[in-house]
Amino acid sequence: MMACRMLRPEKLEEWLAELLRSERRLIAPQRQGEDVVFQPVQTVDDITLDYINTRWPVKAWFFPPSEPVLRYRYQGSGVELEQPNMALEPRVIFGVRPCDAAGLAILDQVFNSDGEDEFYTRRRTMTTIVGLSCTHPAASCFCTSVGLSPTASAGSDLLLTPMGDAGYLVETLTARGEQLLWEYGHYFAAGECRSKEAVTEAAEARMSRQAALAQGIELSERLFEHPIWAEVARKCLGCGVCAYVCPTCHCFDIVDDSDAWGGVRCRNWDSCGFSLFTRHASGHNPRPQQDSRYRQRVLHKFSYFPQRWGRLMCVGCGRCVTNCPVNMDIYATAQAVLQVQGVKHET
Amino acid sequence: MNERDNPLRPYPGRLVGIKNIAQDIKLFQIELKDGQPFDYRPGQFAFLSAFGVGEAPFGLASTAERSPVLEFAINRIGTVTDALHSLEPGAVVGVRGPLGNWFPLEEIKGRNVVVLGGGIGGAPLRPVIHSILDHRDDYGKLTILWAARTPSLLIFTDEYEQWAAAPDTELHVTVDEGDERWSGHVGLITQLLERVAPSPENAVAIICGPPIMIKFTLLTLEKLKFQPQQMLMTLEAKMKCGIGKCGRCNMGEKFVCVHGPVFWYTEVARFLESFV
Repeated sequence: MMACRMLRPEKLEEWLAELLRSERRLIAPQRQGEDVVFQPVQTVDDITLDYINTRWPVKAWFFPPSEPVLRYRYQGSGVELEQPNMALEPRVIFGVRPCDAAGLAILDQVFNSDGEDEFYTRRRTMTTIVGLSCTHPAASCFCTSVGLSPTASAGSDLLLTPMGDAGYLVETLTARGEQLLWEYGHYFAAGECRSKEAVTEAAEARMSRQAALAQGIELSERLFEHPIWAEVARKCLGCGVCAYVCPTCHCFDIVDDSDAWGGVRCRNWDSCGFSLFTRHASGHNPRPQQDSRYRQRVLHKFSYFPQRWGRLMCVGCGRCVTNCPVNMDIYATAQAVLQVQGVKHET
Repeated sequence: MNERDNPLRPYPGRLVGIKNIAQDIKLFQIELKDGQPFDYRPGQFAFLSAFGVGEAPFGLASTAERSPVLEFAINRIGTVTDALHSLEPGAVVGVRGPLGNWFPLEEIKGRNVVVLGGGIGGAPLRPVIHSILDHRDDYGKLTILWAARTPSLLIFTDEYEQWAAAPDTELHVTVDEGDERWSGHVGLITQLLERVAPSPENAVAIICGPPIMIKFTLLTLEKLKFQPQQMLMTLEAKMKCGIGKCGRCNMGEKFVCVHGPVFWYTEVARFLESFV
């Protein structure tokens, strides 16, 4: 399926302008105060290419912070169930960084296994992801540590990699990407597949966080019970911001909101860092302390998920690092835990 | 979206019977509307919706073989159970399931079975007892050890006589703390277990109860020389979706909702983070 085209720099704007006029809804990075966020595009001039990464990952366009999963109305002594409105138009999300696109590939695994989650997969199949390789990673970025790269293609349907004056190297990665390229073929020049290696290397050379974490954490009883967890979790406030900004965190709660006439059942983002997350109605809580909750967060990403699916559940975007109010750093934590894991005999 | 594609949509069901079976514990009998098929096995669970309040998971306490009516024994302990307890017969509830795995009752045919139920944990064990009693010749000796904190919390008391009278079946009941009318055994289920001391030979123990009870019952069974591959349990965990996505019941690489709730001790013993 790998085919290469080039997109001249001046053609990019023309292409986006035509996409905007098409039946597809165009969502792209736009400036909002000091941030850059994904928003539906009103005019092409609002699209910015000047960002390291967006304030939030694209996760919410597929798995919203709160979404109705059921509506119901009381009818006499009965209850009338209604389907939530899932009318969807086809969409293109332009400018997704490789780390965030890789996050979607991870969410695909979760939402398509053990029964398909229609809410997520419908949005996914209606959306074409145009990835944009990263040339200037931030100081908090660590994608290479978790087995990705600033030009990685996982999760993108098309991936654009800036190749200097020549424009963008366009990789077609899926049938959805193929379709988009076919429809707008006249903007793309056919060409030989040029190597993006130099771009990748230049971007990686700018990254200071390159510890090897991709092998994941190999759990043992000693490591699970090790005092390191209490140490790394000591300052954790349990605020949950790390989960809310994470491209791969997907835990949710389900709650009813009702009035005298009926109600709506919503699923809302949740976090394993919250104290009520695992608490039973009886009061029993298998994770009574913050260290056991933070341990769950780290181990789910670096041990449990990889055991089941063969890849880490962290893409190295660094958002949890930059957003944590008490400077907790999952990159540093993973390194510290791996160090403990490597120490076979200690007193 | 087609309604069948929504994995979080419950089936509407009607409460056709509500029985007080113990202090703050009611048995809810539910008929699904329009003869909706619901093919379930002992050990599986379902979410019940109290519309307007929410939904929570409960082990099915009935067998499909005995009746098409679904039964759930529910302790009034939180917001959803409180709302369910306030309903009257005829009310509409939501049923989402059946979910999870089930007890390997086929696999353990021909063996002696020791059933250990603690408090409301006895609810998902009732279908095990019913299945064995309904196919009595397929299994060896059935020993039921049944416990609650107080006599008023014992569930399914109206069935004890029938259970005890079944061929090659023993029922032993205990309470942590008796009252003036209680003349039976007083003590923890572990003490009763040591006294009854069922033989581990060709036996399988099936346990459900509060985490602390499961933990110590396993230890006592080990003392009686039961091996990990002879001990089955059904675990409880906070759940929201029941389909392996919401992340709440994650225990190592397993999810209690899809890989359980029934586990062999050989599996549970490998969990570093045990919900037991």
